[in-house]
Amino acid sequence: MRLSSIARLYRVRIRARLTQELFAVLGIAIGVSLLFSSQVANTSLNGSVERLTNGIVGRMSLQLDARDSHGFEERLLEEVQRLPGVQAAVPVLEQDANVVGPKGQESVDLVGTDPRLARLGGGIARHVSEVGLGSRARVFTLPTEIAERIGATSIRSITIQLGSGSKHALLVPGLLGRGGASLGDSPIALAPLRAVQTLAGLQGRLTSIYLRAAPNRSSLVRAELERIAGDRLNVRPANFATTLFRRAAGPVDQSTSLFSALSALVGFLFAFNALLLTVPQRRSLIEDLHLDGYTRRMIVEVLLLDAFVLGVIASALGLALGELLSQVLFSSDPGYLSFAFPVGEQRIVTAWSVLVAVGGGMLAATVGVLAPLRAEIVERPSRWHARSSPVWRGRTPWMLAAALVCLLATTLILVLSPRSAIVGVLTLTLALLLCLPAAIELVVGASGRLHRLQAGAASYLALIELRSRANRSRSLAIAATGAIAVFGTVSIESARSNLQRGLDASAHGIDSGADVWATLAGKSNSFATSSFIDSSAEALRRVPGVRAVQLYRGSFLDWLDRRVWVLAPPRGAEHPVAASQIVSGNPLQAAARLRAGGWAVISKAIASERGLRIGDAFTLPSPRPTTLRVAALSTNLGWSPGAIVLNADDYARGWSSTDPSAYLIQLTPSASATVVSRRIRATLGPRTALQVETRGARERMHFAQAAQGLSRLTQIRSLVLIAAILAMAAAMGAMIWQRRARLADMKVDGFSRVVLWRALLWETAALLGVGCALGAVFGLYGQLLLGRALAVVNGFPVIEATPLPVALGSFALITAVAVAIVAVPGYLAARVRPSISFPE
Amino acid sequence: MLELRELVKHFPAASGSPVRAVDGVSLSVAAGEFVALYGPSGSGKSTLLMLIAALLEPDAGSVLVDGREISALSDRDAANYRLHELGFVRQSLNLIPGASALDNAALKLLGADLGSREARRRIAPLLEHLGLADRMSHRAEQLSMGERQRVMIARALSTEPKLLLADEPTGSLDTERGAQVLSLLAETCRERKVTVVLVTHDQLAAAFADRVFSLRDGQLIDAEPDKGRAPVNAG
Repeated sequence: MRLSSIARLYRVRIRARLTQELFAVLGIAIGVSLLFSSQVANTSLNGSVERLTNGIVGRMSLQLDARDSHGFEERLLEEVQRLPGVQAAVPVLEQDANVVGPKGQESVDLVGTDPRLARLGGGIARHVSEVGLGSRARVFTLPTEIAERIGATSIRSITIQLGSGSKHALLVPGLLGRGGASLGDSPIALAPLRAVQTLAGLQGRLTSIYLRAAPNRSSLVRAELERIAGDRLNVRPANFATTLFRRAAGPVDQSTSLFSALSALVGFLFAFNALLLTVPQRRSLIEDLHLDGYTRRMIVEVLLLDAFVLGVIASALGLALGELLSQVLFSSDPGYLSFAFPVGEQRIVTAWSVLVAVGGGMLAATVGVLAPLRAEIVERPSRWHARSSPVWRGRTPWMLAAALVCLLATTLILVLSPRSAIVGVLTLTLALLLCLPAAIELVVGASGRLHRLQAGAASYLALIELRSRANRSRSLAIAATGAIAVFGTVSIESARSNLQRGLDASAHGIDSGADVWATLAGKSNSFATSSFIDSSAEALRRVPGVRAVQLYRGSFLDWLDRRVWVLAPPRGAEHPVAASQIVSGNPLQAAARLRAGGWAVISKAIASERGLRIGDAFTLPSPRPTTLRVAALSTNLGWSPGAIVLNADDYARGWSSTDPSAYLIQLTPSASATVVSRRIRATLGPRTALQVETRGARERMHFAQAAQGLSRLTQIRSLVLIAAILAMAAAMGAMIWQRRARLADMKVDGFSRVVLWRALLWETAALLGVGCALGAVFGLYGQLLLGRALAVVNGFPVIEATPLPVALGSFALITAVAVAIVAVPGYLAARVRPSISFPE
Repeated sequence: MLELRELVKHFPAASGSPVRAVDGVSLSVAAGEFVALYGPSGSGKSTLLMLIAALLEPDAGSVLVDGREISALSDRDAANYRLHELGFVRQSLNLIPGASALDNAALKLLGADLGSREARRRIAPLLEHLGLADRMSHRAEQLSMGERQRVMIARALSTEPKLLLADEPTGSLDTERGAQVLSLLAETCRERKVTVVLVTHDQLAAAFADRVFSLRDGQLIDAEPDKGRAPVNAG
């Protein structure tokens, strides 16, 4: 059949179902937009670090890396350069810093290097002038957007907080251009190596050497580097930061992907509901075409064009909506990940994101158009009329059996392999959908029995409609929409709130280690992981109201592909690790062991990976490798790659440094934290890089950060709810509207408008109620699955609370709002004139 | 032109004994002849038409059109037969809402590998002939029932078939309009030498047919004596 003929046929039919097609377009577009925006959010996070890393290291293949910010001696550079097979080597000194301008301050990754980086590095490095990097002057350059944020748009002198002090340096903005994929807001600053060495007080030290090996000499070079590194330094691929980041961002990616999949499913059901409205027309068209001699292939071609046009328009609209969503709502806020990685907030749109979203849209359109008509497409016409009941009619036992198998699979995943939680959620979703027809049958049957006891015209009419086989496909699709929306909301919202409670408890446990904290300023130091030179402890002890000042140490340590959070509370700390965070072992014994020294509490996920049990000895790959024993196993303390707690003295030994990363200040019983904090700030002086926070303020900051990290899930949940309510209301409203002729007949038979309206509301409430209630029940199981995956696999601190309020709330909200919306078209439909029963 | 030989089609029934929708029907129809089949509801009229249209396979017997066995055609050949050799006028007036009379009538031609412009050009004279010259651009819902049925007739005749099957074509029309449509159908088909098999329970149809048969319980049992030739084998 000619394409022009198919197109003509499409055009002549579209007018008759324009409204329904628009609904379908909207539904698919919503699914596409949620899929696209969540994809963009994920790729932006990973892509940001990847592009930044590749933009700096370019074609350099290996790096020799220090295990802390104090680095190693610069003379190693010459040794590395002399190694056979090394084509080029670039020295780097990398430090966490805070740049302070007239309008504010920003945390940056300050990279000191020399002109070789500009020649050998990637696109970003080449952007910097060799002359600039070769100078000894205190100059540095920042991405334009970061410079603008701190109010430094032109060359000017600004403050850099590094270590415990503040120094001035000349800022030259414009490192990375603006916006888009230019990494315009990546928190990175480039400066001459000598300048950073001077600013950090680390003359003659480097933290990394990037190098390029000659072709086919990589193995040899690597072996030589490992010889030089010994057990004090790391030898890794030059772009290893991306591997570390992917590991850290894994749970965020997974949770967003899972929710976006559920969102896409709701969007698809929205579209499916709308497409079902056009099924009678399409079915009648197929029958006519068949009688007219159209072959099955020609009919499929006609339907595929329907799907193609629908998919293309919906995908285009979905991409536009998704673009808007990702800009306005799902900004790729790196949240806690920015504490350990130089990750920016820019949006990175990859071809893959577009492909996934458009592919999803086209698939939804094709399935939505073809699936309801599969009998007409597949079966011989002689069977069409025999098939008046839905496909699942008579198959309910099989569907229930399949649902049972899915539930069993979910349970096995829950118990044996919580790592496969996403698969578990999918099998649970499938089980939910398989149970739905039986649940509707059950409710209709029960309603029939109840009706015998309490008869009423409205409920009787509703019951007849619910029993009608003709409406069943559409009823099921509407109920499924509600079910999936409530299921997704309950399972993920409950898991999210449990996680939020766990993260808050973890933050509370750590922050309550002192009445007042003094740490280096800057957002990237929220976990107190940057060290400074201790020069103020004695002075602080003399501040009125201060009872004691202890030194807390901490940092991030790369252990294989995990960037682990190391916490080292003072030996005398009352609760070195909160009992609530211990998942295996005796909390009191663990605290005693930590205080004694030589012991560490490690995250269960790390212990499992390394096959460690309580009492086992292990060597921590610290700058000076340290052997410790496992005192107990903990959660990951809210940091997805995991955490290790040891006492501050053991830390000093392992890091060969007594530098603290926080002053833990205990107050006298009668002292006011606010007042003493003010005195402490005064004591530290105006040029200090330390910030002073009361325990309460620090807790609030951590609670807010945890909430922010989980906010995307809340946002997507809200959108799913809105989409589901709209989908159900629209589908139900349209179904009612199409029923006006029958309503007119009923009016002729003497049913009043009020009775008809009530009947429509009964029917709506029953249908949505069944779907949403089933969704809530399955949602309870879903949250159990996700909670276990978070706790067991990723080791997150999860505090479980009864999910019933969330389940009941979601059920009630979706059902009530959808019924309320449907009340309007229901009322209008019930006002139909009886005369339309007599067309001529 | 059309020959039915001992045609049998039974359907299984819940009660156990099968429904004998068509039970040994034999009939021979000459080219250009107009044959009417009467029968009450459930007498097997529509099943007989579906067998002739190759929409159903008979349990026994055969359908021959110009000597060719129709009941054994593959799906593709059956579709090709319906598209080029057969016209089918239904009782249900399934016009595409929102589309014009012209587009609705040209629907079958679009499937016959004609471009849409050519299809519209070719169908226009037929619509004019059927009295719809000034209604061609009107949308389906703006047409009367009689006009809609004429559009369906135009669609059925658009590929110049040799055989036209009409299943209760006046079922949705009042007597006067029904007579008009039947008259037009008979006249147009005679002009074009199209063989017509009409099933109806409307006595009026007899006035337009060359021969009239009665169908009851799946069997041809009677013929209108004043309508010329008797069936070759009436049951």
